[in-house]
Formats: sequence, C-alpha cells, structure tokens
Amino acid sequence: MRSRAIFYAHAVPGETIPNALEINGVRKSFAGHVAVRDLSLVVPRGAVYGLLGPNGAGKTTTIRMILNVIVPDAGVITVLGHPSTDTQVNNRVGYLPEERGLYRKMKVRSVLRFLGALKGVNRRAADRRIDEWLDRLGLRTPDKDWGDAKVDELSRGMQQKVQFIGTMLHDPELVILDEPFSGLDPVNAQAMKDTVVDLRRRGHTVLFSTHLMDQAERMCDNVCIIAAGAKVLDGEMGSVKASHGSRTVALAVDGNAGDIRSVLRDPRLVARADDHTRFYEIELSDGADPQELLRRVLDSGVRVNRFELVQPSLHQIFLERVGARGVEEGMSGHG
Amino acid sequence: MDKTWAVIKREYLERVRSKWFVIATLFGPVLLATMMIVPAWLSLRSGGIADLSETVIVDASGAGLGDRLADALATGSARMRARPEVRVVDPGDVAQAESLLTRDVMQKVHSGYLVVDRETLAGERARYAGRAATSLPAIDRLRTTVRNVVMAARLETAGIDPEIARNMTLLPLRLESERITERGRGGSGRVNALFSFGLAFLLYMSILLYGQAIMRGVMEEKQTRVAEVIVSSLRPDALLAGKVLGVGGVAFTQIAAWVLAGWVMATFRAPIFAAMGLPATPMRLPELSITFGLLLLLLFALGFIFYAALFAAVGSMVNTDQEAQQAATPLMMLVIFAALFIQPVLFNPSGRLAQWVSLLPFSAPILMPVRLATVQVPWVEIIACLVILAASCALAVWIAARIYRVGLLMYGKKPTLREVARWVRYA
Repeated sequence: MRSRAIFYAHAVPGETIPNALEINGVRKSFAGHVAVRDLSLVVPRGAVYGLLGPNGAGKTTTIRMILNVIVPDAGVITVLGHPSTDTQVNNRVGYLPEERGLYRKMKVRSVLRFLGALKGVNRRAADRRIDEWLDRLGLRTPDKDWGDAKVDELSRGMQQKVQFIGTMLHDPELVILDEPFSGLDPVNAQAMKDTVVDLRRRGHTVLFSTHLMDQAERMCDNVCIIAAGAKVLDGEMGSVKASHGSRTVALAVDGNAGDIRSVLRDPRLVARADDHTRFYEIELSDGADPQELLRRVLDSGVRVNRFELVQPSLHQIFLERVGARGVEEGMSGHG
Repeated sequence: MDKTWAVIKREYLERVRSKWFVIATLFGPVLLATMMIVPAWLSLRSGGIADLSETVIVDASGAGLGDRLADALATGSARMRARPEVRVVDPGDVAQAESLLTRDVMQKVHSGYLVVDRETLAGERARYAGRAATSLPAIDRLRTTVRNVVMAARLETAGIDPEIARNMTLLPLRLESERITERGRGGSGRVNALFSFGLAFLLYMSILLYGQAIMRGVMEEKQTRVAEVIVSSLRPDALLAGKVLGVGGVAFTQIAAWVLAGWVMATFRAPIFAAMGLPATPMRLPELSITFGLLLLLLFALGFIFYAALFAAVGSMVNTDQEAQQAATPLMMLVIFAALFIQPVLFNPSGRLAQWVSLLPFSAPILMPVRLATVQVPWVEIIACLVILAASCALAVWIAARIYRVGLLMYGKKPTLREVARWVRYA
C-alpha cells in the first residue's frame, strides 16, 4: 500500500459531534466468561485511537460491539452521534477485520462493487472509486488491470490491498482497523502506517487495535489499554505518559564491559529494569536519586553513551500496569 | 433492503454465470431428449424384440403346430432373419430333444427352444427356454404368436376356412390408458404418472443440491472470513435472507429452464421424431391448470426456504467440509426420507399414507405436488398442508437465523448440540 491515498470531501452538514465514538459501561460475556467488563471510552473526532491489549483482552469483542455485529449485555455505544444499533450509521463506518479474506472465485472488481453496495455506494460511484483506488495502490497499470482478475490469482499482499479498498470505498468517517499490522511485511506495514497518518490528516477518525505498543506509541493521539476485558487506563497519549512521571531512566552503554547488572539489581535504586543488552529502560525505586544511579553505573566501569530522565514508554507503562494479569487462559478468539 | 438486494444479486449472478450451472442446465434437456429419442431409435433398429430366428421349435403336438408357428414368426416381424427350425418329435421323445437342445443353447448353437405339445393345442401351456427368457417383448411376442396360432388351428378344427381363421387371429391389439378425474379426461395415465414422478424428483434434487450449495456458500464466507466484513454492514438475518432468496432464484431458474425445455420437446415431439425418421405415437400432455402451477410454485418456495435456511444454519455451525458432512446428515435424511415416499404416493395418491406425508412439513413440498398432479386433492388438505408448511418454514427460519448469527463468527471446534440450543435461546 502506498502512502498516497485518495479521500473525498465529507458533507456532514450541521454536525458538530465532538466524539466519533462513545462507549459507556459496556459489558459482554460468553458462556461463562466475561469478555468485556464495564468498559467506557471516548474516541474524539479526528483522532487516531489505539485500543491496546494482549491477545484475548477483549479487543475484537469490543470492536464487534461497536459495529453492532454482537450486542452488548449492558451499556450504551454511540457511533458518530447515533446509537450503534442504528443501521444508517453503518454506512459511515469502515471496518478492516483482523482475519482478512475475500470471495476467492470472484473478480476483484465484482467483490469491491459488492462491498460498496453493502455500504450503500451505487454502482457508478463505486466503479469510479474502485478505479481510482486500484490506480493508487498499483493494482491497475497500463499493462495489467488486476481488477479483472479473480481474487485467488492475486498475491496475499495484493488481496490485502483489495480488502483495504473495500474498507475505504464508501469514504467512512470512522475507520476501524482490527490488528491492521498483523501479517503485513515491513513494506506493507510501513504503507499501512502512512495510510493511517494520511487518514488522520484528512479528518477521518481511526480506531485501531494492536498488541504492538511501539507502533501505537508512535501513531496514536489517544490510547486505551485493556486487559482481561477491563480497562486498565485510557487518555491522551501525552497525559498518559506524564501521569506515569519521570521516574524512568534511559541508559545506553558501550560494549558489555563492567558489572552493570549488579547495580541494576539493587532494589534501593531500581524498581524494574528492561534489559536490551546495550540499552536499558530503568524505573527508579521510590526515593531513589538518579544521580546516585549514574555514579554507581560509572563506578561499575562501563562507558555510558546516554543517561536521560525520560517519560516511560507505552511498553513500560503497559508492563507496569498490566503485568502478569495480561493474558487470561482460553480467551483467544475473542481477542 | 438495498443491502439484502445486493446479496441476492451477488448470489444469483455469481452462480448463474458459473460453468457448472450452465452445464447442468443444458444437461437436463439433453438427458430428457436422450430418454425420449434413444428408446424409439433403438426399437426401430432392433425391431423392438430379441431375434427369435435362432429358436428351435420342438413340435410334439402331432398337429403341425410347429410349422404354423415358424411361418407366423417368420412373417410377423421384419427383423426375423430366417424361419425358425422345426423339429417334430413324438410326445415320448420330448425330454431327450430338450436335453439335446439345452446343450446346444449352452454352446450357443441355438438361442433357445419352444416346446409345443397336446396341452398347447388344448390351449393350456407351451414352454420356452433360452436366452430371450428375460426379454419381456420377446416373450410377449412368443405368447401372442402361440396363442394366435393355436386359436387358428382350433378354429380350423371347428370347420372354419383356414384363410378366414388366420385373418381372424391377426389382432395387433394395443391397450392405451387414459386418466379421468372429476374434471374429465386428463391425458394418458402413464404420461401423467411419469410427469408427477419427474416433478417430484426435480423438486427433490433442487432442494438437496441447492440446499447444500447454500451450506457451502455460508461455509465459504465463514472460512474466508468475508462474513466478518459483511455482517458489519448488514444484519446477519438480512444476509441469510439474501442468500436463501438468491440461491432459490438460481434453483428456480434451472427448474424453469428444464420444464420449458421439456414442454417444448413434448409439444413438438411428433415433428422432431418425424424429422429423425422415427415413428411417433401421439402423446397427450397432462392438462395443468393455473391453480396447479401457482400451488406448485408456492410449495416449492416454502419448501426451499424451509430446507435452505436449515442448511445455511448447518453451514454456519461448522468449520471444515468433514464437519459439514456430519452435521448435514440429519437434514439430508429428511429430504431423502421424503423422496422414498414418491413411489408409494404415486401408486395410491389418495391413500392414508399419501395424506399424512403430504401434511408433514419436510415431505410436503416434494409429495404434495405428486398428489396434485395425479388426483383431485381436497382443498381442506391443500390448505392444511400450506398452513403447516408456512408455519414450519417461519419456525425454521427463526431458528436458523439465530444459529447463523452466532455460528458465523464462532471459530474453533464444532459446537455441541447443547451449545447450539443455547445459541437459539439467547442469540
């Protein structure tokens, strides 16, 4: 997927809904286990929103409830100012599921027309947009028009592009991507990231789920971390990080000389250290002095390249807040 | 509604354009034409009867019955290559002649032998043994010939001129049967039974094949995860309705094409046969009313929806073809069970059994048309059948929609019956 993408002007007269999505006290259980418990979150209009959590945390269940595919046991979901049960609002939401697939025996163009029709796009508009998108994503060149090919003649990467076109054909105001980066090679993952950024620039709201914290940290305006079906924290990225204080030190060292590990094992100084062999993300103990840590590190004989008081990474926050209760056994499938 | 229409359109167009649909739709009429023309052509070529010229006639009648028979057989059919050999023996030597001939027949020197004796002359019996014993037309011809010859011989004995006697016994009689209902004469009974059987078989095949087609379609959407995207755009119930109606439309198109082709062929049977140089007996088509047509359409629609919805539910429950085979078995048994009753109902369309099976919702769509085509079914029974079928249909769709809604997004192991029951209750 190339980053250059096409978008259509939104005509939403008089609508001044501040939030693209509001979830209020939503709860869903399946046959004995609770998949989502009392979840509330708000996705501001125009934001890139990350729904984060380990596998089996309830991300897909939450997304399916937003899409009105499954009905919550309790709680209210408001999509673009309408109840999620309102079928009309469906046409303004685009959805790319985690498990992707298309009718294998159908021609690409027919599949896309069908997906467009399901979102209320008429045949003429659909054909125009399909061609535009095929051009943009390199699926239609002067030599070859993949639109006339059957789906199973396409490579996996091309099929993913086709599916993405299907998600975007009706120019949705709210785009929901379930684990959009899973199964993508680095080139397509980069393109997907660019596309999300582009969508945001054009005023679309993007909600995506992921278990990759680094990806989320770089892209999201807002995040919500859920684990075992319950919200752990949510909010604007900056405030989430700020609220976890500057008790974190980023330390980079040269080589592996010296005995830095014994320093990091000192509980009076270090609450937790994430060891990347030549880079360490260190959470200070309560009352510990960073200066003391630096002195001890230098005394240990290593060459320090970087020593910086930083905000913790999302990954650190996640580990700190979710920790071992991250994954509950047997919950996969309702990710 | 627009979205359901999009699903109907996709199901219909993708299937109707497929190679298999085109082949199957063309194959039906070709098969029909073959069934119509080949027997006529074969009977023209072979004279319709196994060759009897290799048959030896053992005459122990002492009255020249053997020669008369040989003459009659030789002249009676254009296909006889030679006059059969006649061996006149004493009544006491019949056993020996028979054992000799049995050996000859085994060694294929002769094809069989016919023994006529005094009992034959008395009009009691004759005996044939040989290879043609299983050929009904051949045996029929032998019986007729023997009877005619014996009758002629007896007439002569009674003093009637041999020429007159021969003419009197030459009766190529054929029995034609015609059906009479309360509305009057309704075409030949044989054609009518054949028509009813064909109709029931067609309904049976359509329900079985297209029901399974829907099941596979649902499985495809589930396996490829297309269902994930679709149900985010329209309600699963609407998707289910679209699939059933779309595939139902395909089945209807195919049946309509076959029925039309059959009607054209039956109507223009005489000219077609004439053009191919085949003899054609005139055939009266069953007279069918508009009411019959409408009832048939209604029965087919309700029956198809009943089964299609359940097949779709099965498709949504399972993940692999093997599981589908297993889970669909009870449903297929119901259809096959209904088909098993086609013949009994045809034999006695007004009987108690026929009444019952044409009321049961799972067999009514196949068996009620059989009764409608053969006898005058009381309106009370027709209405009862339709009411029961429509109610069952609504129930089946309701249950299927609930299973479908949950099953479509449920991956992993096949659900147990208990789990499916819970889906139905809580979906």
